[in-house]
Amino acid sequence: MNWPRAMLTDSGGFQMVSLLHLADITEKGVTFQSPVDGKPMLLTPEESIQIQNRIGADIIMALDDVVKTTITGPRIEEAMYRTLRWIDRCIAAHKKPNEQNLFGIVQGGLDPVLRDICVRGLVERNLPGYAIGGLAGGEDKDSFWRVVAQCTALLPEDKPRYVMGVGYPLDIVVCSALGADLYDCVYPTRTARFGTALVPEGVLKLKHKAMAEDTRPIDPTCSCMVCKNYTRAYIHCLVTKDAMGSQLLSYHNLHYMLQLSRDLHSSIIEERFPDFVRGFLQKMFPEGDVP
Amino acid sequence: MALRFEVLGRFNRARAARLTLPHFVSQTPLFMPVGTQGTIKGLTTNQLEEIGCQIILGNTYHLALRPTSELIDELGGLHKFMNWPRAMLTDSGGFQMVSLLHLADITEKGVTFQSPVDGKPMLLTPEESIQIQNRIGADIIMALDDVVKTTITGPRIEEAMYRTLRWIDRCIAAHKKPNEQNLFGIVQGGLDPVLRDICVRGLVERNLPGYAIGGLAGGEDKDSFWRVVAQCTALLPEDKPRYVMGVGYPLDIVVCSALGADLYDCVYPTRTARFGTALVPEGVLKLKHKAMAEDTRPIDPTCSCMVCKNYTRAYIHCLVTKDAMGSQLLSYHNLHYMLQLSRDLHSSIIEERFPDFVRGFLQKMVNAECECSRKERDS
Repeated sequence: MNWPRAMLTDSGGFQMVSLLHLADITEKGVTFQSPVDGKPMLLTPEESIQIQNRIGADIIMALDDVVKTTITGPRIEEAMYRTLRWIDRCIAAHKKPNEQNLFGIVQGGLDPVLRDICVRGLVERNLPGYAIGGLAGGEDKDSFWRVVAQCTALLPEDKPRYVMGVGYPLDIVVCSALGADLYDCVYPTRTARFGTALVPEGVLKLKHKAMAEDTRPIDPTCSCMVCKNYTRAYIHCLVTKDAMGSQLLSYHNLHYMLQLSRDLHSSIIEERFPDFVRGFLQKMFPEGDVP
Repeated sequence: MALRFEVLGRFNRARAARLTLPHFVSQTPLFMPVGTQGTIKGLTTNQLEEIGCQIILGNTYHLALRPTSELIDELGGLHKFMNWPRAMLTDSGGFQMVSLLHLADITEKGVTFQSPVDGKPMLLTPEESIQIQNRIGADIIMALDDVVKTTITGPRIEEAMYRTLRWIDRCIAAHKKPNEQNLFGIVQGGLDPVLRDICVRGLVERNLPGYAIGGLAGGEDKDSFWRVVAQCTALLPEDKPRYVMGVGYPLDIVVCSALGADLYDCVYPTRTARFGTALVPEGVLKLKHKAMAEDTRPIDPTCSCMVCKNYTRAYIHCLVTKDAMGSQLLSYHNLHYMLQLSRDLHSSIIEERFPDFVRGFLQKMVNAECECSRKERDS
């Protein structure tokens, strides 16, 4: 794909949760029904790592047994312990530890006891980095932040922490304040395809009639190619009927997320992180109703 | 008149020229990409500049419906609205008559459409078309013509030709910005040389800044097509640009240029990209084909565009079967191909090696037609 910078591949584990009606999880691995030809496919920890070894990303993810945080009961505990058993199989199967970094994923639902056991288990394996998994799946925000806070408190200081599936700009700011480092989410590009732009105030819906005659850029404070060249009125005209609209919004939204990343990094280094966060929250919640 | 047309080089009937328009100085022969509704599908204006695009075409009918010409005018014209700093051409809405005929009723007054937005009847008169185009603000605007398919025969063709001549006077009268926008007349007359002759003479009398050859590229056989182009270019004034509307295939552009035409437009390069087809010196390359799945070469090893410099056929094959990005990359490559062809035509004429260029072009193309070589040599 001609991408000269870094890459991370996931294990295929999340698809277990999202395609569960087709999947059967056992100690061996996950059986999918192949969407291509309907045949049963088995994804084992060994197979997942082998595939990721071939793809060649800088960071590869362990196959974990992930369950939705909205589920309760013994399944969560089963999944957490299985994740620990599978990490050893992943480590054993990993053929390129000097070229690719295998991250373990902390599971355990919203249960602090289970999360604690999982963190300790993974840290024992002395992995290059750790992810906090199983979140961003519909749980309430308080539970979400509590789990992130607990994990970042327990995980080693000198290794990267990756909160999977996050997310909204606000969540990234909060998780960074709590000590996380890496994030991924389809949100910025997906919401672009629905005509929504990310802005300091929150979101801007370009399909709205009010945009039709608005000659301002999406975000007057944004320095991206889209904001420097196109007006809201033009993008409004496109989003309602041309793929180009989604493209321009995707470009802007990703620029927004990466600018946010740069701002978080530099504000911490320049010792003005609290000011940055205050400013960020003020623009998004001018009436002070921060969740 | 708001343009200058200077012929810089010739070979027989072919000419290479500098066309100076209010927004941009361009070189002909030149292909103009079609950006129907204020955008070329898949490319940003920066990318259009990158590939050397000089004039783009906007479609009056579609723009009038959405976002409306009044809004475009209010916001400073289409150039500003879509952020395109170079030149622009708008058509009259006339072609939609042919393509949406089942919804249209043509009378001396104008064309009645059934609006696709709300089903209400819309009347597009010569005056209205010019007014809309005045608001949009393109460098070149097209007269509203009565265009019929070349596959039709009978009195309708004659009626349409004479109506086109009557309408050009109404267009000229309605045109409020002759010093900023160039009104081109369109030669009609089907495949009938007598009618074409009358139409050319009628338009030339009006001393317009430029002329288009219309009504072609609609399914007629190639011999008839080239014959009409050859006849019109022979009759039209030497010192004004000639625009063959709706053309087209690279081969057709080479032949029409040999016959003395200067400007072209067509949706083909971008549309065929969206079907996974790339334009290459040999003809076309179908990226969806299984054979592409493991082909690590670029689309065209001789092409210097961003796509050919960065991506393999295998990668694009992987995309075209399921991601819009595939179409985008192919659109970028195909438009680059067309503009490179334009540059090659222009420079080969100026550098007095046009016949060699054409021979080389034909040789590479698998389906080179002998007819066409003969026509080219004839011209």
